[in-house]
Amino acid sequence: MTASPSNIIRGDLQDQKVADYQSPLGVTRTETVTLPGLQTQSGFTFEHVDVDYQTLGTLSPARDNAVLICHALSGSAHVAGLDPQAGRPGWWDYHVGPGKAVDTDKFFVICANVLGGCSGTTGPASPRPETGKPYGMDFPPVTIRDMVTVQIKLLDHLGIRQLFAVVGGSMGGMQALALAVDYPERVRVCVPVATCVSHTAMQIAFNEIGRRAILSDPNWNGGNYSTDRRPTHGLAVARMVGHVTYLSAFAMTHKFGRERQTERDTNGDETASFSVESYLHHQGRSFVRRFDPNSYLYLTRAIDRFDLFENGLAAEVLRRVRARFLVISFASDWLYPAAQSRELVRLLKRANIPVTYLNLETEYGHDSFLIENPAFASVMRHYLENEYRHARN
Amino acid sequence: MHPGIYETVLRWIPEESRVLDLGTGDGAFLERLVQTRQVIAEGVEKNSALVARCVERGLVVHHSDIADGLDQYGDRTFDFVLLLGTFQELLSPAETIREAFRVGREVIIAYSNFAHARVRWQILFGGHTPLTRSLPQPWHRTSNLHFLSILDFQQFSRDLGVRETARAFFNARGAVRWLANLRAEEAVSRLQAGTLSQRSITTEPGKTKNETYQI
Repeated sequence: MTASPSNIIRGDLQDQKVADYQSPLGVTRTETVTLPGLQTQSGFTFEHVDVDYQTLGTLSPARDNAVLICHALSGSAHVAGLDPQAGRPGWWDYHVGPGKAVDTDKFFVICANVLGGCSGTTGPASPRPETGKPYGMDFPPVTIRDMVTVQIKLLDHLGIRQLFAVVGGSMGGMQALALAVDYPERVRVCVPVATCVSHTAMQIAFNEIGRRAILSDPNWNGGNYSTDRRPTHGLAVARMVGHVTYLSAFAMTHKFGRERQTERDTNGDETASFSVESYLHHQGRSFVRRFDPNSYLYLTRAIDRFDLFENGLAAEVLRRVRARFLVISFASDWLYPAAQSRELVRLLKRANIPVTYLNLETEYGHDSFLIENPAFASVMRHYLENEYRHARN
Repeated sequence: MHPGIYETVLRWIPEESRVLDLGTGDGAFLERLVQTRQVIAEGVEKNSALVARCVERGLVVHHSDIADGLDQYGDRTFDFVLLLGTFQELLSPAETIREAFRVGREVIIAYSNFAHARVRWQILFGGHTPLTRSLPQPWHRTSNLHFLSILDFQQFSRDLGVRETARAFFNARGAVRWLANLRAEEAVSRLQAGTLSQRSITTEPGKTKNETYQI
């Protein structure tokens, strides 16, 4: 039940050179819709929000086959297929497509960029309607539940009263959980992967290191930076720290070991001597090209503040949940350890919710759900297929 | 395991019962229970590849080691808790049975009889640890931690304060009705929490009810 060693060489689909990557979906596009406003949990009112989203597959005549996929911290609406400009595959192309874990021949897949993000949905880099200038740090605090409110507004816009399933890993898993708890009548199946009901001190600590790196970059300037003077060094360091927490010692040993790779700056001084260093530099560089530093601050805060049971005791909150659950964790994931998933499962089961739980032995850490992973894909595909058949009867 | 054991368990479980199967394996029997008895079923399995097989069958399954407890289930969640063939592999059988009686009303246990004639013969005259149909692995590969006889099991249930309400014994030729402790290779037992507290172990020997099975 482990992914083959070659998978980690290929890694996840974000920030990779993927010239020869083939997607059965071909080129896919996202579109942006302007939705009527919402009030955030903090009390801020948006008159309108833009939501960038993608749909794949066909909505059934009974409108009962919609699957919402919620992306993680660094994801976007572009979940699968090749990007029309860059040709880059969507972040979950390994697992979304014809015959894949989330089968687009059967399901109508929806994926939207989250509120506070920076890939088309309203976020700190979006222009403020009153001034036309970016919100920056005037953007209101965003919560996981605010993200879910926007997802629900998008479903209303698409005319989907009830999802068949909501699926997500990490931050996406938090949204999936919040949706199943807060909108019980709108989803039949919930699949939270490598996630938790609230962050521990260690998880908050790693995010805080990333945030501090951005805030300490002179270019950050209180969040008011121009496009040519962004706090790219801070964001790159944040990404490097984050990326290490997504891997495992096994994965890093297999991928890099102590292999040497010398990098020099323009003065000829050595800036990297091990290939793991140049890999992290590459991760940092490629991330800053596509991600907004303020967005990183807002989204990591949303993750840290998330508490599925902020509105009451677990037993009471879960009593109204109607969805069935598939919870998946990875034994090598030390950022979101299996114990957190087991605790989630315990709370769900004690509320008499049918839950299937699997702790996969994939050895690539938190990233295990983003890489090519046949064991993971097979379980997800069979579960969704069986539950869909069950739901229709 | 002997097919007669599965047939017996199917007979014992009324339709639409809530069933927890501990050590459910690939889920083949649990699936059959669901199909023939329309039970509300859940399996517990520690091997991830077997958990995946259960998912393929559309079963609700929980990936964990029984030895880590059943804390995920509330009291009296199930009508039946099944331990079919996993009993001898439990590190602390008494603990597990107490937990099983917390989460379920009745417990059904199937196990291999270590006092079967062929076993006795192999130890006595062969001078080596026995290899039989129901104990097929050599000593260094077996997953069995404990070896028990039918008599041992009956003593054990009495010590735990649980009542045996039904039982069946089997060997290669089918059901065994007499001299079971000598002739049966496998046994299945249906247990209910007795009048004694589930949580107290009594060491009182008590009077044996089923003298006929002793040898």
